[in-house]
Amino acid sequence: MTDAAESEARKPRAGTGAAEHPRFDELAGELATVFARPLDERTFETWALRAFRWQFDHDAAFRGYCAGRGATPATVARWQDVPPVPTAAFKRLRFLAVEQGRGPEAVFRTSGTTGGTERRGEHAVASLALYRAALLPAFRAHLLPDGARPPVLALVPSPEEAPRSSLSRMIGVVIEELGGEGSAWLARADGAIDARPLLEALRAAAASDLPVLVAATAFGLVHALDALVVEGARIRLPEGSRLMETGGFKGRARVVARSELYAAVRDRLGIPAARIVNEYGMTELLSQFYEPVLADPRVADLPLEERFHVAPHWVRSRVLDPVSLAPVADGDPGLLCHYDLANLGSVSAVLTEDVGIAVPGGFRLIGRTPGAEPRGCSLATEELLLAATAQ
Amino acid sequence: MSAPFDAWALAPGAVDAPPTRAEGGLRWPLLDHSAARALVASLRAARAGGLLSHDAAARARLLGRAGARFLDPRDPLRREAEARVPDSAGLSAPMARAVIEGMARDWTAPRLLDLLAAELPAGALDRFVPGTRGTRVRAFAPELALHVGAGTVPGVTATSMLRSLLVGSATLVKPGRGDAVLPVLLARAIADEAPDLARAVAVVYWGGGADAAVEEVALAAADQVVVYGGDATVRAVRERLPVTTPVIAYHHRISAAVVGRGALEKAGVEKVADALARAVALFDQRGCVSPHVVLVEEGGEMSPAELARALAGALARLDETLPPGPVDSAQASAVHQLRRTAELRAAAGEALELHVGTGGAWTVLLDPSAEVEASCLGRTVRVHPVADERATIARLAGWRQHLQTVGIAGMGDRLEALAAALGEVGARRVCPLESIPFPPPWWHHDGQGPLAVLVRWMDVEE
Repeated sequence: MTDAAESEARKPRAGTGAAEHPRFDELAGELATVFARPLDERTFETWALRAFRWQFDHDAAFRGYCAGRGATPATVARWQDVPPVPTAAFKRLRFLAVEQGRGPEAVFRTSGTTGGTERRGEHAVASLALYRAALLPAFRAHLLPDGARPPVLALVPSPEEAPRSSLSRMIGVVIEELGGEGSAWLARADGAIDARPLLEALRAAAASDLPVLVAATAFGLVHALDALVVEGARIRLPEGSRLMETGGFKGRARVVARSELYAAVRDRLGIPAARIVNEYGMTELLSQFYEPVLADPRVADLPLEERFHVAPHWVRSRVLDPVSLAPVADGDPGLLCHYDLANLGSVSAVLTEDVGIAVPGGFRLIGRTPGAEPRGCSLATEELLLAATAQ
Repeated sequence: MSAPFDAWALAPGAVDAPPTRAEGGLRWPLLDHSAARALVASLRAARAGGLLSHDAAARARLLGRAGARFLDPRDPLRREAEARVPDSAGLSAPMARAVIEGMARDWTAPRLLDLLAAELPAGALDRFVPGTRGTRVRAFAPELALHVGAGTVPGVTATSMLRSLLVGSATLVKPGRGDAVLPVLLARAIADEAPDLARAVAVVYWGGGADAAVEEVALAAADQVVVYGGDATVRAVRERLPVTTPVIAYHHRISAAVVGRGALEKAGVEKVADALARAVALFDQRGCVSPHVVLVEEGGEMSPAELARALAGALARLDETLPPGPVDSAQASAVHQLRRTAELRAAAGEALELHVGTGGAWTVLLDPSAEVEASCLGRTVRVHPVADERATIARLAGWRQHLQTVGIAGMGDRLEALAAALGEVGARRVCPLESIPFPPPWWHHDGQGPLAVLVRWMDVEE
């Protein structure tokens, strides 16, 4: 650590003058309005550096980490120079950049792996209002670009049943704010999907003229489709229906190719691949990424392997060389490293173990580094299903 | 990039020249059902006609002659091994040399004869010998054994093949991708030294998917299967075998080291650190014997933190003499995650010390955390301070299903009790730190004698 960095790190932080340091709620409130409109590069940079200063000032572990790497608000001039926090650190530490004495409004947990004994990551959510402010415009842009307000059929447990699941919370907010009448939770607390309510909901939806939005993990989807096969049911959901699908099969015994899964969705639910939107989200980030299949008609026609994810305009994603962590040459695969302004109350710069390739407008997700432990929403669902079967 | 390695050794005439496929530095033959069946038949015939025409001791001497060639630096096969193993296994050249030397030490006639003597009553593989209370007993080797290698550590598959031939099984070897070179070269050495033995062994690499025919035939035909690999591989092989086929599985293992107060004197700590560093570095930590954690007793002349520093120094010295192989992206990613998380934990006030080599070369983390975690490998080792034996056992008990080697120093007369307690939590081997990387050939590998486990006994009652 340099002397300057050390003295910077030791400075007293919290409560040093309201004018210089706004309160978290003020900052978050202002940021929420930024999410609602397009953001030019300079404004992003300004906000990214404000977020860095805020987090440096209010989270001691992050401050020590950055100072140890010679990065302080005095030395960091570009958001790219903020030391990213590895996703693994969320299993060990709780990052919370808020005024002293204030707790998080919610804590999201990552889903575990098969063993179930390993540590799980946690993300303390300082402001659910800011979380919603990030969630809603992006969801609207990618799942409801036509301004529809469809009933949501959720194949995940409700937030009451799974209070710490960020996915359940997300779908809960979506139903509350954007969902139409007749929205339903179709997975039990243990993740299992009962065939009868599923069929009833799907048949009712098919009988009406109103398109629906189905929200599921890839694995939950497989189990739902299995149930339809067992019942011999083929549902034709109304024209305009759409599916948000999230999570993969990494590390699972039963892997279904994406093309196969999408073909089965078309066959059993009547939703074509052009209306299936993959969401890539992680507990460590409060913003989500989507494949712009509905938002951009040109993408809907791309072969599945050429689809890509886009970030909301308040997130920047870089692709880094796994060894040096320097940006890779255009088109080369590397580790995804995100800078998410919605993480204002924790840490914005997050280094993942996911491998991607930058493409114009976004990135193509290739997978998780093979050495990394399997993880993901899908996994927890399957574990729960297995547990339910065993009982 | 050099030409792909021909990952097979088949006796002349065993199969007609098959088409081949090349990928990732290997080329291998594509055997269809009829070629695979012909191969299996030729192996069985060669067992009756050649392998069993020598008694076990004679087989040991012939096989040992072939194996010893890998200890001679001027031998062309040894030189080919040195040229091929680094790329194939992802090891540096000096490391590949150290691994070949360490493995081939057990391939000589004296070592194979010692192994026979340690494992089985004299002559029991060749004739009936006196058993308990008037019975006579004889050990029979399965007619055809299939050995499926893991590929993480070069030489393991070749050793396995040698033992199978020693007990008298015709042997079909499917090496792992990273360990195809040594079994192929050893099979060639056997063909030079003892052609009639060599006809009873075939080494063939095959991939997944399109190569299903040979795998199908091999699994159906084998009278015994020896498999090395991750838990998932072992499970997959078991599920595909007829229920009557015996399986000897060496699944995923994890190892540790314990340093007691007795070894924490200033004078000797360098030696302890050197032995630990070598154990961590060998095979770039990919061995089942490679330690993931070091548990260091508090209250010695040197503290656990000081030992961690000494270990870091020793690993740095190995950068030159036993440099690491190329780092892949998953490894590099895992190391970044670990190091940066450690920095954050230290910044949060945990009494953690991080020592790192340049690039991703090695990482030592002094971690007071009460739980042990499997290492992400790449010479990454956690040093945990412990109060006493009870704390040691408490930490390792969670690895019950996978715990293998525990290297121990400085426990003095407490060693016996600690070893017994480690045995209760699943450990298979306790040894001095210096011996961690290369167990003697007659060790009870994963709890069983390496030859004894291959044979079945027949009793004749009078």
